[in-house]
Amino acid sequence: MTSSTTDTLNPAGASVMTRDTHSPTGRQQTKRETPAEASAPRQGVVAKDNPCKIKVENLGFNYGKFQALKDINLDIVDNEVTAFIGPSGCGKSTLLRCFNRIFELYPGHYATGSIEMDGQNLLDKSIDLNVLRSKIGMVFQKPTPFPMSIYDNIAFGVRLYEKLKRHEMDERVEWSLKKAALWDEVKDKLRANGSALSGGQQQRLCIARAIAVQPDVLLLDEPASALDPVATLKIEELVHELREEYTIVIVTHNMQQAARVAGYTAFFHLGEVIEYADTDSLFTNPREKRTEDYLTGRYG
Amino acid sequence: MTLFQKRKAINTFNMAMCVATTVFGLFWLVWLLWTLISHGIGYIDWEVFTEITPAPGNDGGLSNAIVGSLIVTGIGTLIGAPIGIFAGTYLAEYGRNSKLAALVRFFNDVLLSAPSIIIGLFVYEVIVVTMGHFSALAGGIALSLIMIPLNVRITENMMRLVSDQMREAAAALGIPRWKVITRIIYRAALSGIITGVILGIARIAGETAPLLFTALNNNFFSTDVLGPIANLPIMIFQFALSPYEDWHHLAWVGAFLITFTILALNVLVRLVLRPSK
Repeated sequence: MTSSTTDTLNPAGASVMTRDTHSPTGRQQTKRETPAEASAPRQGVVAKDNPCKIKVENLGFNYGKFQALKDINLDIVDNEVTAFIGPSGCGKSTLLRCFNRIFELYPGHYATGSIEMDGQNLLDKSIDLNVLRSKIGMVFQKPTPFPMSIYDNIAFGVRLYEKLKRHEMDERVEWSLKKAALWDEVKDKLRANGSALSGGQQQRLCIARAIAVQPDVLLLDEPASALDPVATLKIEELVHELREEYTIVIVTHNMQQAARVAGYTAFFHLGEVIEYADTDSLFTNPREKRTEDYLTGRYG
Repeated sequence: MTLFQKRKAINTFNMAMCVATTVFGLFWLVWLLWTLISHGIGYIDWEVFTEITPAPGNDGGLSNAIVGSLIVTGIGTLIGAPIGIFAGTYLAEYGRNSKLAALVRFFNDVLLSAPSIIIGLFVYEVIVVTMGHFSALAGGIALSLIMIPLNVRITENMMRLVSDQMREAAAALGIPRWKVITRIIYRAALSGIITGVILGIARIAGETAPLLFTALNNNFFSTDVLGPIANLPIMIFQFALSPYEDWHHLAWVGAFLITFTILALNVLVRLVLRPSK
């Protein structure tokens, strides 16, 4: 489980999900299609003809006795940026934390229903959590560089899943730092401690760290909310770049940010998905009154 | 008097009291250190470190007691530090909400404040009586029992200072739990954990009561961990109570050495902790 690149999520080997050995840049690109407007009767389903990466069905989530998510149905489109917006406490981060099951660090938190990715239910107990998390990367609100050098911050995760030669690792580190638009700023101090960087740089280091293990999906939990506008802009540009190769889900409090970076947007309120559509129609022509009220600042 | 003047007067009064209590506390400490210096430093010479404790009226030093103290403290640290760190790790990482952890934490606090003479008697019963004789090993075990609760507490606190966001970020990369702890959390909490160990050493270096029933004493040079061994605290105890002038001098030297070693360890702790702040 540490060096092979063909680990399956399911230790029994029955899984269709494998860590493939695709080259970092050789990913297929999916063209963005215009979703059929309002053709989906079911809440949370954008369009049937878009390739769906993650299919959330009847998902519920509890923090102990408190039910934070109720009957969520949502299709995350492949190779696209999907934004979750909504007022604080609406469940958008909670849903994000279901995708890589990071909530399982805490007792009493549990999810019901199913989250299907590549034909497999991610909530299945037989799934190896560490392999799952290497396929679905996550970046958090607060930058958290590990207490080690910039180089090791990135190499640490990679070493767990791939046995690379020294120069291959050097290349991987450089590749991911370039992807995260950080290379030029740190290439001369790769041995310096990660915490010596500025907040915005630290956050890009965290993104580089996440993509270095070559996940399929990238989860971003308010990645720019602790950063100044310049750093925020850099992160947004980065998301824009990365969507060519990854399926990205971003939680944000900033509606303009969702409008700028996301192809699809879901509006959450009180643990439910109120409306889910392509970003243009959601922002310009919301179907639900509550969405419109939130977007125009009347509540939330 | 206006309200403002009144507030200022109260502030001045409180400030004065704070300074007074600080000076009060420092006064005794400085007096103690000064007494040790003035009585002890004059008798320090090379022989203190090379000669063993003498018979009354003869020349001698403290080499057997110094080496003995190092051995006993070393054994105590070798046993106490790992157990304390591992138990603290369990409490901070795996046992946060478990009943067992709450129980461990409670008894750890009890152990932390247990009188050290009781610990000495306990080890006497369990080890010395079983082995049939006093030994440096028994002394080290008694000291480790004093060190363990200290290290458990400090390790747990220091590891808890590492934010859960760090744990989440590491777990989100697919890093197994044990690796998160050993490679990331330990590294982040390293200076704090080392501080705990050094403070533990400083604490047990001066303990006398646990050694009375365990390591006992030895008037000759010995490095045998299975036999009784000389050590500074008990040497001080015996020599200070004796009627002989030159033994008194050696007791002062011993007290001086032990106190300033502990002082040096505490200064070292400050230096270790500095970069993380």
